[in-house]
Amino acid sequence: MGIGYNTITFNQDKCDGCGDCMLACAQAKAGSDDIVHSRIQILTTDQPSGDPQASDSGAIELAMCRQCGDPKCVSNCPAAALTKNATTGTIDWHADKCVNCLLCTVGCAFGGITYNAEIGHVTKCDSCDGNPACVKVCPKGALEYNTSGSIYNRISDKDDLFVPGLSACQGCNSELLIRHTLRNVGTNVVVATPPGCIPGMGTVGYNGKTGTKVPVFHPLLTNTASMLAGIKKQYNRVGRDVTMLALAGDGGVGDVGFQSLSGAAERNEQQLFMCVDNEGYMNTGMQSSGSTPAGSWTSTTPVGKEMQGKRTDAKNMAKIMMMHNCEYVATASLAFMDDYYEKLDKAIAASKHGFAYLHVYAPCPTGWRFPAADTIEVCRKQVESNFVTLWDFTPEQGLRFTRSTDNPIKMAEYLKQIGKYRHLSEAQVEHLQRRVNDQVRSLKAFEQLTEVS
Amino acid sequence: MPHCKYLIIGSSHAALEAVSAIRMQDTEGSLTMITRDSHLPYSPTVLPYVVSGRSKADNVALRDQSYFEQHAVEFVTNRSLSSIEPDCNTAVLDNGDRWQYEKLLLATGASPIIPPIPGLDKVKHLVLRTLEDAVALRDASQKAKKAIVLGAGLVGMHGAENLAEAGLEVTIIEMQTQVLPGYFDPQAAQMIQSAFDQHGINMKMGHKAVSISPQSSDQQNTGCRVELDSGETLDADLLLVSTGVRPIFDYCSGSHLQTDQGILVDNHMSTNQKNIWAAGDVAQAKDFYSDTKVTTGILPDAVEQGRIAGMAMSDDPSLKNYSGGVPINTYTFYGQQAISVGTSDSSSGPLNGEPTDKLEIELTVDSDKGYFQKIIFKDNRLQGISGINAALDPGIMWQLILRRIDLGAVKKEFVAQPLETGRRLMSGTWR
Amino acid sequence: MTAIEKTIDSTLESACQSKTLVCDGNEAAAWGVALSRPDVIAVYPITPQSSLVEYVSQFVAEGIIDAELMNVEGEHSVLSALQGAALAGARTYTATCGPGLAFMFEPYIRTPGLRLPIVASLVTRDTLTPQCVWGGHQDAMLVKEAGWIQMYCETVQEVLDTTVMAYRIGEHPDVMLPVNVNSDGNYLSYGVTGISLPAAPLVDAFLGEKNVNWHAALDPERPMAIDPLTGGAGGPGPKMFVNYRKGQTDAMQNALRVIEETHKDWGDRIGRHYSPLVEEYRLADADYAIVTIGSMTGAAKDAVDEARDRGEAVGLIKVKTFRPFPVAAINRALNKVKAIGVVDRSVNFGWNCGPLYQETIAAAQKLQRFMPSASFIGGLAGADITVEHFSEVIEDTAKLLKGHSYDEPVWINRND
Repeated sequence: MGIGYNTITFNQDKCDGCGDCMLACAQAKAGSDDIVHSRIQILTTDQPSGDPQASDSGAIELAMCRQCGDPKCVSNCPAAALTKNATTGTIDWHADKCVNCLLCTVGCAFGGITYNAEIGHVTKCDSCDGNPACVKVCPKGALEYNTSGSIYNRISDKDDLFVPGLSACQGCNSELLIRHTLRNVGTNVVVATPPGCIPGMGTVGYNGKTGTKVPVFHPLLTNTASMLAGIKKQYNRVGRDVTMLALAGDGGVGDVGFQSLSGAAERNEQQLFMCVDNEGYMNTGMQSSGSTPAGSWTSTTPVGKEMQGKRTDAKNMAKIMMMHNCEYVATASLAFMDDYYEKLDKAIAASKHGFAYLHVYAPCPTGWRFPAADTIEVCRKQVESNFVTLWDFTPEQGLRFTRSTDNPIKMAEYLKQIGKYRHLSEAQVEHLQRRVNDQVRSLKAFEQLTEVS
Repeated sequence: MPHCKYLIIGSSHAALEAVSAIRMQDTEGSLTMITRDSHLPYSPTVLPYVVSGRSKADNVALRDQSYFEQHAVEFVTNRSLSSIEPDCNTAVLDNGDRWQYEKLLLATGASPIIPPIPGLDKVKHLVLRTLEDAVALRDASQKAKKAIVLGAGLVGMHGAENLAEAGLEVTIIEMQTQVLPGYFDPQAAQMIQSAFDQHGINMKMGHKAVSISPQSSDQQNTGCRVELDSGETLDADLLLVSTGVRPIFDYCSGSHLQTDQGILVDNHMSTNQKNIWAAGDVAQAKDFYSDTKVTTGILPDAVEQGRIAGMAMSDDPSLKNYSGGVPINTYTFYGQQAISVGTSDSSSGPLNGEPTDKLEIELTVDSDKGYFQKIIFKDNRLQGISGINAALDPGIMWQLILRRIDLGAVKKEFVAQPLETGRRLMSGTWR
Repeated sequence: MTAIEKTIDSTLESACQSKTLVCDGNEAAAWGVALSRPDVIAVYPITPQSSLVEYVSQFVAEGIIDAELMNVEGEHSVLSALQGAALAGARTYTATCGPGLAFMFEPYIRTPGLRLPIVASLVTRDTLTPQCVWGGHQDAMLVKEAGWIQMYCETVQEVLDTTVMAYRIGEHPDVMLPVNVNSDGNYLSYGVTGISLPAAPLVDAFLGEKNVNWHAALDPERPMAIDPLTGGAGGPGPKMFVNYRKGQTDAMQNALRVIEETHKDWGDRIGRHYSPLVEEYRLADADYAIVTIGSMTGAAKDAVDEARDRGEAVGLIKVKTFRPFPVAAINRALNKVKAIGVVDRSVNFGWNCGPLYQETIAAAQKLQRFMPSASFIGGLAGADITVEHFSEVIEDTAKLLKGHSYDEPVWINRND
């Protein structure tokens, strides 16, 4: 299988063309303030694009090395002066071999390797050995250093602790999530999967056969946190450090499961409680839950003459758990895997001391009515529109956004992908927008408390 | 009888690219690469730099031995192909070995043309196509005082510059009236030539050597005397023949492989014979601009062809048609850069004969600064762009040509700033 | 094992030497818990159980009980936490009653199927509504089909002794079921009397080595899935589900034997003998009998004694083990009499009688002879069933022998 690498990503919607990245690059690579030396080039002109198909004419664009997986610059080099580094993924340029023939520049369709007349040879981005100067100075967060690739490498060395062939729906986000999670958590664990999609896909198995290679059980929908607390108490008593992991749906978390969850959080029980939020009871046929956003079609909030989807708003469980002052609380999305992994590591560590709560947003192709292939895109837009936000919390640190909520994409961009929102009136969309704005404002207020302290 | 799934003859860019394409799709199928060379794979393009000493002969390998081990490639050196028997999937080597293949790639490249000049065969002369050639030329340059270079193509020009830098008195003899014919238009060629003039190289343009004889005074028979069509005679103790190359496909005789200037191939680099493909300098493939088939001798084209051949041989489902050869040249001389992507001269090549009102030529020249930029449009589409000391991304220009992007709306801006405009078009089109 | 454990051991041993103390039933239960050395205790207070968990908590605070004490947010979590702890190998304990038991119902009905030998005291309380906080058996009777073993205690001493015995019964490899030790709210929970505390080493020897999760466990060292989806209409499901269920009912029947063995061994070691399933009082030469359950039996025995003094040939049958229902033992007793009056502290809404009455005459059906009988219902919501009340019960039961029959239950406290 292929290897994934870290990479610099560019979000043109966030870039304001300030050019700080180019200055930082020129300084880092040439000790100069002249951006001619920059290996990242931001193109800010707002003149119209010539191509009628280019939809985003006037947008800010970027020319830099993509560190291609199948690099033509390398193929074109007659002197073996360019090589794809199998460890870092960057395309390394070797000064001692380069003959200045410029054939590499012919291979690059991205303006990523160019001749610098002032220094007399080609230059290209080398990712600053994994600590890119441009990313560090970007004031808008338009440039990010995405480490998902190396995460996938790391995780592929670890055992998949769920059996192959779990019967999740096509495109299921939860299966992806639980497989990755358990690889990271490892085998010294007891896993609780209250009724819902996760055991429904066979994790606890059927008729005497298990779906998981670690201890796993069905708690009730109502008592996951309590059962895990009891298990942990006994292991503590006999001096064994075993991780307690709950993989629960939003109903088992915020509706009937809430009392035991709240109690366990209050007692700071040592466990990692994960909410896989697909905004309803998807396993039993897409009924509405406390996590279902207003306006959503579900099988118990149908669309008809008298009712146009759910009439009330969803509750923000992550925020509620933050108010329990848990050891660790975070929200995550699988479109931002590196962010998730960072939080998972923190949550595992926190669960050794007390209650850790991870709220993972899990768009459901079957229940929300979108094509199975679009799951990650829906995840991404859910975050980019601020419909959900990515942050974490500890009592010492307070709330910290791990992804900026500034410059969100339009709510409609998110909603239009999803069948359960197809019927929404303008007023309903406006309501959701207001609701999202309120949530962001409220969370930002908590963030400010963090900054003050 | 040795047998392999993939048999590849040749070891330069097209062959290597085919190997990596095959290994993307089929990591296990037995693969043998046979080369007439005695070295690890290298590029002929790097040889002028071996001559100049910028590259060391032992440091130019494009792959090392571990590459072949890691990718399960059997690498056979010092063997050339003698004949092919397509009916029984057999390739016969010069030592009589009969290799049975399932799929055969011919990437045998080209060899120097030795012009039929009377007496040339009687004198010691050098060419530059192999690593041995480069080492020999470098050794000779360190002993000789006066050099004659036949031909002002890329090899000749590179060679001449290297020899002059090594302290030799150098004369270039070129039949045509400009240097680098076919690569740059006469005006750009003149700018390049003037750099050579300034560096004291004797340029005999528009002249032919009509006869060559040994220098009688020279006991070791290293020297020669060249007589030009003007009657002038020139003496030299080093003679470099660089009058072009021609594809090597003598092994095709009797095989029923269709050949012309090279081995004729279709858009998947497939020959007319089952299970045989050809790529690189030896292949005569679709031209981008016309319906004819051409041999190009262009490194990026060889890479492209090798990739397509490898994908076709390994049944890669993402195989696409070859979009056609586009002339692309980059040339560095005396610290200056000359780049040409696509056609550079409307009076010759594929655009020759186009009604001139359909063509738009934008020329920007600043002779004092050594700046040259020429852009040729047809129907608002880029046909070619060439420049000396001009800033542009050749790879992006190539894509603009291949994709036939309509530049009507940005033409003015493009002419003024081809680099920036090209990048912006890139971002909006194929990022 | 560790120095700390030794210290705590000695705390228990010095607290629990053979001695006499004066206490109520809730404290007696707490001593029984202490002597059983549980690992995890989860508590949530409810009247009239509250002082029991207070005693337990106090014992933990003092080191008399060396266990993890979980003060959770409700009875539902109480039993859930204990299920988890038991699955990790813990000996566990809790206590509840009435509305608490009702709230616990979801995990409660699951415990026997998980085959977890949890011991839970039910300090029985009548159920809402009307709103009440006093004793009665309605709560315990509502859960009689959940699959727990249920034993009703008669005295404060028996509360202590039965609490300890419950662990040995529930954890027996042929049983592996949860056990309720039922003590009457108010009467036993708050009734103070002198009791004898057995020495800790004697009890340790009686209980033997602790081995709770030898069958099903959540342990990374031997990973397994607990409670995969089982059943359905096809494949191996139906057979598998039946096997699980039948295993549970077989274990309940095994429990009758194990309860008897356990009570005998307790008597041999500690010196206090109880009738494990059914007690027969002055039955040998009786013509008829009254049937009782729980703490009412004391007053009932006094009334029987008085009636005997008057020349009435009356005896008494007390049911201690109500689940599993001791059909054979009760029929041995019934065989000795011609008529019975059954006194319940709860009602059976479906049959318009008391539940003990219903179960007793169902057992008598196996005798294949007609047994004249009457259902008496009293002591609801803490009401007292006095010796005088029982004298009336005896009088009314005696009428059965003269051909009288009752179409409805007799409501004992109706005119109080």
